[in-house]
Amino acid sequence: MNAGSHILRTIGLNKFFHDPVEFQALKNVNVSIEEGEFVSIVGASGSGKSTLLYTLSTLDTGYSGTILLDGEELGKMRPDDHARIRNEKIGFVFQFHYLLPEFTVLDNVALPALRLGKYSEEEIYSHAHEKLKLLGLDDQALKKSSKLSGGQQQRVAIARALINNPKIIFGDEPTGNLDSKNSETVFGIFKELKEKFNQTILIVTHDMGLASRTDRTITLKDGEVVSP
Amino acid sequence: MNSNKPLARIALTHLVAKKRQTIVATLGVMFGIAIFIFQAGLITGFQTTFIDKTINTTANIRIHNEADKNRKSIAGKLHDPRKDWVVVRNQKPREDDLKIRNGNEIVKIIERHPDVAGVSPFLASQVIFKMGIAQQAGFVSGVLIEKEDLLFGLSANMKEGNTTRLLTIPNGIILGAGLAEKLGAKMEDLLSIISPMGVTLEMKVVGINESGLTEVDKTRAFVNLRNAQKLLQVDGSYITDINIKLKNIDRAGELASEFEKRFGYKADDWKTANANIFGVFKLQNMVTSLVIASIMIVSGFGIFNILMMIIYEKMPDIAILKAVGFRNGDIKKIFLMESLIIGLFGGILGMGFGFIITHIVGSIPMNIKGFVSMKYLYFNQSPAFYVTAFLFALLVTGIAGYLPARKAAKIDPMDIIRSK
Repeated sequence: MNAGSHILRTIGLNKFFHDPVEFQALKNVNVSIEEGEFVSIVGASGSGKSTLLYTLSTLDTGYSGTILLDGEELGKMRPDDHARIRNEKIGFVFQFHYLLPEFTVLDNVALPALRLGKYSEEEIYSHAHEKLKLLGLDDQALKKSSKLSGGQQQRVAIARALINNPKIIFGDEPTGNLDSKNSETVFGIFKELKEKFNQTILIVTHDMGLASRTDRTITLKDGEVVSP
Repeated sequence: MNSNKPLARIALTHLVAKKRQTIVATLGVMFGIAIFIFQAGLITGFQTTFIDKTINTTANIRIHNEADKNRKSIAGKLHDPRKDWVVVRNQKPREDDLKIRNGNEIVKIIERHPDVAGVSPFLASQVIFKMGIAQQAGFVSGVLIEKEDLLFGLSANMKEGNTTRLLTIPNGIILGAGLAEKLGAKMEDLLSIISPMGVTLEMKVVGINESGLTEVDKTRAFVNLRNAQKLLQVDGSYITDINIKLKNIDRAGELASEFEKRFGYKADDWKTANANIFGVFKLQNMVTSLVIASIMIVSGFGIFNILMMIIYEKMPDIAILKAVGFRNGDIKKIFLMESLIIGLFGGILGMGFGFIITHIVGSIPMNIKGFVSMKYLYFNQSPAFYVTAFLFALLVTGIAGYLPARKAAKIDPMDIIRSK
C-alpha cells in the first residue's frame, strides 16, 4: 500500500491551552492511521488523549502543525467545511449516546444522512434500517430513543455513526458508560465492523484490556506519543 | 441542500416538548395582533366618523372679518419700539365692525366660481333662549335656509319638522336636539330669544335638528338671516361670515388663500379651522402606536424567553447535531423557525380574533353621547391593518428569535461533550 492508504495523518501537531494557565496539551504529535485499522489511544487522565481525538476529528481547533484526513488538510478550513467533513467522512461515538430523546431510533440514525442530502428520504430510511439490522436493533426502529436501555442506545449511536459510510469512526470512551456485558457487545461490534467492512476506527480508552485487543495502541504521556 | 425538512421537524419537536410555554407565547402574539387590529380600527374608525360629522358642520371655507385684537396704541405707532418703551394701560378694544362689506355681492361672485358647490351667507348672535322659566344661553345662526341646507345637509339631520318651514313661517326657529331637550321645547312651541342688544323676538319651533356633534346640538339654533339681523339691530345687507362648500374639499387650502387675497377678508379652510382636532388625533395615534408596540415587545420577550429555555435544555442535542455535521447556520435556522412558527400561528389566530372582536363589539348598541353621538362603535376594517399587524408579528418574533438563535449557533459542541 502506498501513502494514499493513510486515512489520517498528523505532522508536528502541537496544541496549547491558555486558560487558566499556559499548558501544552499536545507535543509534536506525529501519527498516522491506515485504512481498515482499528487503533486505540491510551494514557493517564490528562495525558491529552481526548484532546488528540477531538483535534483529529475537527471538533477542537486552534493547533499548529498539519492534520490530513482523507487527503484534505483540516487546518485550512472554515467551520462550515469542518461540519461538512464531519457529516461526510466522520462517525462519532461518544461516552454518552447523545440521541435526540423525542425522535424515534430510526430518525436518530437517519439525521446525519438527511443533512447530507445525498439520497432520497426513502433511500435514507432504508439505509438506516440496514444499519439498525446490522446492530440487531431492527425491531426497535420505531421506538422513541429514550425508551431504550443504555446498551441499546449506544448501539443506536453506532448506527448513526455509520449512516453516511464514514471514512473513519472516532470513539471517545465508547464503552465507558456501559456494564461489562454491554461493553463487550459494543467492542465486538467495532471488531466486526473492522473485519467485515474494513472500517477504520480510532478510539480513546482507559481500559487496557480492550486496548490490547485493537490492532495498535498509541500511548500518550503528557501530550507526547510514547509508543507509536 | 434539502435538509430544511429535518430542521423544521426538530423545531416542531422542541415546541411540542414545551407545549404550555409555546401556547402561552402564541397567545401573547395573538392578543398583541388582535389588540392592534382592535385599537387601530377603533381609533381610525372614530376619527373617520368625527371627521365626517365635522365636515358636515364646518364649512369647507369660511370667510370672515377678523377683529384686530393686537392693535397697536397710537403712542406705540409714533415711537420706534427699538428705541422707546411705550406702555399704555387700559387700552379699550376698538369697536370693530365685523361686517363683511358688500357681502351679498361677494356671495354672488363666489357662487359663479367653477370649483364652488354652494355659498351661504351667515350671521350669528349670542342669545338667551327663554321658554317659560327655562333659560339657556346659546347662539342663533341667521341663514338663508335653502343655501345653508345645500352646504350642511340640514334636512337630512332633522329629527322633527323640516327645513322648508323656516321659509314659510317668518318667525320660525330650528333648535338643536340638545337645546330643545334642555328647554323642554317641542314642535310648534313658542319661545323668546334675547340678544345682547336687548332685542327680544318671539319664535316658533318649526324643527329639531341633530348634527351628531353633542356640543353643537346643545347650543345652536337656526333662524332666518333677517331675524338675526333684527336681533343685532343691523341692516339687511349685514353678514359676518360667508360659508363655502367646494366640489373637491382637498382644494380648500389653496382656494381659501385665493379668496383671502381677492376679497381682503380672512378665509379659513376646514383643516385650519379644526387644527386642534387634528392635533388631538395625532396624539391619539401616537398613544395607540405606543400601546401596540409595548404589547408586541412584551410578546417578543415571551418568545425570547421560551427559546432561551429550549436552548439551555437542548444543549446536548445542539452539540450532537453539530458533531454529526449540521452547520451553525442550520442550528440558527432551527430556532428562527421556532419563533416564526409562533409568530405565524399567533399572527393568524390574532387576525381571526381581531376580526371577531371588532365585529362583536361593533354590533353592540352603545348610544354614546360624548364628543360625537353614535349608536354603534364604528371600526375601520381596513385590510391594511390586518396585513400590517401580521407583518409586525413576524418582524417582532423574527427579532425575538434571532438573538437566541444566534446564541445557539455559537454553542461549541466541545463544551458540552467534554463536560459529560
